[in-house]
Amino acid sequence: MNTELGKTPLIEVMNLTKKFHDLKALDDISVKIYEGDVVFVIGPSGSGKSTFLRCLNRLEESTGGKILFEGIDITDEKCDIDLHRQKMGMVFQQFNLFPHMTILKNLTIGPQKLQNKTKEAAEAEAMRLLERVGLADRAQAYPSQLSGGQKQRIAIVRALCMKPDVMLFDEPTSALDPEMVGEVLAVMRDLAEEKMTMVVVTHEMGFAKEVATRVIFMADGKIMEENEPGQFFEHPESERLKNFLSKVL
Amino acid sequence: MKKIIAMTLLSAMVLSMTACGSKEVTEEATTEAVATEEAATEEGGQLVMATNAEFPPYEYREGDQIVGIDADIAAAIAEELGMELVIEDMQFDSIIAAVQSGKADIGVAGMTVTEDRLVTVNFSDPYTQAAQVIIVKTDSEIATPDALAGKTIGVQLGTTGDLYAEDIEDATIERYNKGFEAVQALTQGKVDAVIIDREPAKVFVEQNEGLKVVDEEFTVEDYAICIAKENSELLEKINTALATLQESGKLDEIKAKYINAE
Amino acid sequence: MFEKLMNSFLHNFIEEERWKYIADGLFVTLQVTFFAVILGIFLGFLVAMVRSTYDKTGKLKLLNFFCNLYLTVIRGTPVVVQLLITYFVIFGSVNIDKVLVAVIAFGFNSGAYVAEIIRGGIMSVDQGQFEAGRSLGFSYFRTMIYIILPQALKNVLPALANEFIVLLKETSVAGYIALQDLTKGGDIIRSRTYDAFMPLIAVAVIYLLMVMLFNYFVKQLERRLRNSEH
Repeated sequence: MNTELGKTPLIEVMNLTKKFHDLKALDDISVKIYEGDVVFVIGPSGSGKSTFLRCLNRLEESTGGKILFEGIDITDEKCDIDLHRQKMGMVFQQFNLFPHMTILKNLTIGPQKLQNKTKEAAEAEAMRLLERVGLADRAQAYPSQLSGGQKQRIAIVRALCMKPDVMLFDEPTSALDPEMVGEVLAVMRDLAEEKMTMVVVTHEMGFAKEVATRVIFMADGKIMEENEPGQFFEHPESERLKNFLSKVL
Repeated sequence: MKKIIAMTLLSAMVLSMTACGSKEVTEEATTEAVATEEAATEEGGQLVMATNAEFPPYEYREGDQIVGIDADIAAAIAEELGMELVIEDMQFDSIIAAVQSGKADIGVAGMTVTEDRLVTVNFSDPYTQAAQVIIVKTDSEIATPDALAGKTIGVQLGTTGDLYAEDIEDATIERYNKGFEAVQALTQGKVDAVIIDREPAKVFVEQNEGLKVVDEEFTVEDYAICIAKENSELLEKINTALATLQESGKLDEIKAKYINAE
Repeated sequence: MFEKLMNSFLHNFIEEERWKYIADGLFVTLQVTFFAVILGIFLGFLVAMVRSTYDKTGKLKLLNFFCNLYLTVIRGTPVVVQLLITYFVIFGSVNIDKVLVAVIAFGFNSGAYVAEIIRGGIMSVDQGQFEAGRSLGFSYFRTMIYIILPQALKNVLPALANEFIVLLKETSVAGYIALQDLTKGGDIIRSRTYDAFMPLIAVAVIYLLMVMLFNYFVKQLERRLRNSEH
């Protein structure tokens, strides 16, 4: 585990708040995420867990507090967020593949346009990763020709092609038919085993128990409990978490 | 001067409404009053006149009335024939088509008799003589029609000025839908000269600073009323009426009223 | 009957080479339409970008205000009036090429409609597409260019094509500033021959053919775009 004192966190969230008018979606959140951490964020709907994840790469603008990413405050207006986002892969519930591009183009547009890779280099890397998720034969297909599970695996690969330092997953299996959940989780499991730093918002409790290095429980925009998965699921401390787990497990 | 005409007409209208008699008033009132009464009483019916009321002083709008030399002459003819005059305002280049197709009985619009037009319609005896003149800016070098060669010339589409201007050597012809727009283009320096009928030219020059009419006329021509080819009966009637009006001095009176008012 | 039509045809188009009025007019109409379309697309894009940026992010408030003003004025007044104002007021004291005046007037007119069409297209693209682009590290502008606009344009292609057909036909009022376009060409013949039928029908047929030809190309383009994405 990399949570020892003295090491610099990859992401340090300090007193983060997010208000929608009077409603506090995030209320004084502080978290440290170290390299190699696989942090699962769970909680009832409306608990602020997705908002929290989306604040990490500023798809959602926070209204208070700081986020240090690799030592730089990315909530600072002056920082070039586009540069930092390249280091933070994001996977969405609805996949959000670009429908007007082939799979290969979906994967290479970022590296080519943003990292000045040659077409050949970008395509070689994309094909290597496609191979790994078993979709190399669909490189020339369009997203609309793929199943949901395939789309989500491609979406993960699209993020990986940018060589990110952290991967953010926003309910990656919630929009999938049940029989397709497994194939996506398998890819995520591989990533975790490779020590990719991951922050995952999900309802897949079994998967969290199996893969997470840490689990965070959020409710009402606050972090209610945070622990390693064994303790978290077997010996929950707060009543809220006990209550929640009894409903979802 | 223009104001004085307007004032007279305005006061005439006011007076006629209060039914006070004066010479001006009776003359103004004839067009409407006589026409409506006679339509009801006599057998004549309607005499539909097609014109383009953007050609002062021959025809133009004064308030919501179409007035001018042509309008008054047509009214006088209608009176002679015992008919009710109805004026239809349209684009100048539609007038002959309207007469030919029977949408109008006569076309009275400061219209010059030309060979081309005679192919399609008949013309009455001329009721006045007009000239096409050249309007230029006061500081223009153009002093004769010959000097127009190679210049940009504004005209109103379908007028005799338009037709004749085509024969000018190397000239660029700008065909505006309305005469005053051609004059506006001249004042804005967009064209070098405008070819247009003498009477409206006088009005335009008077109303626009810095314009003048070139002394030498571009062409001299006769204005006449056009009538459909088939309608030779009406043609005769109108020629007779014109002769009567000429005899009685009424024609000159009407022309004097508009042209010499200044 | 046939002979009469033939004579009318000869009288209207062959005598004194009157067909040249139509041919020259057609050239002017095509010229004005072509450049006005380009100007319209350019302005439309610009305005649509400003407006949708404001809609999405709340930035560019002042620019958005001016864009709104432009849209309101242009869409709230007839194109003929805009044309006359451009010619007699805006360029009132300068002697400027009339084709240019028409291109500017019709281009600015079309730009307003194109802007709203493109903005509608941009807003119709799923917000997730935008987030996906931004999360990869693309700037707002590059996300627009690479990801949003290609999808938006495909969605609005029929509406855009329709706008260009409207524009082509609207240029027929160019005669108001004494520009000798196709319609005016027919009018000049009419003013010479006093025959309404031949010149007007000829002009109408030419417009119709142009619109049909254009529609054909748009259909081809749409088909190709559809094939590239299933």
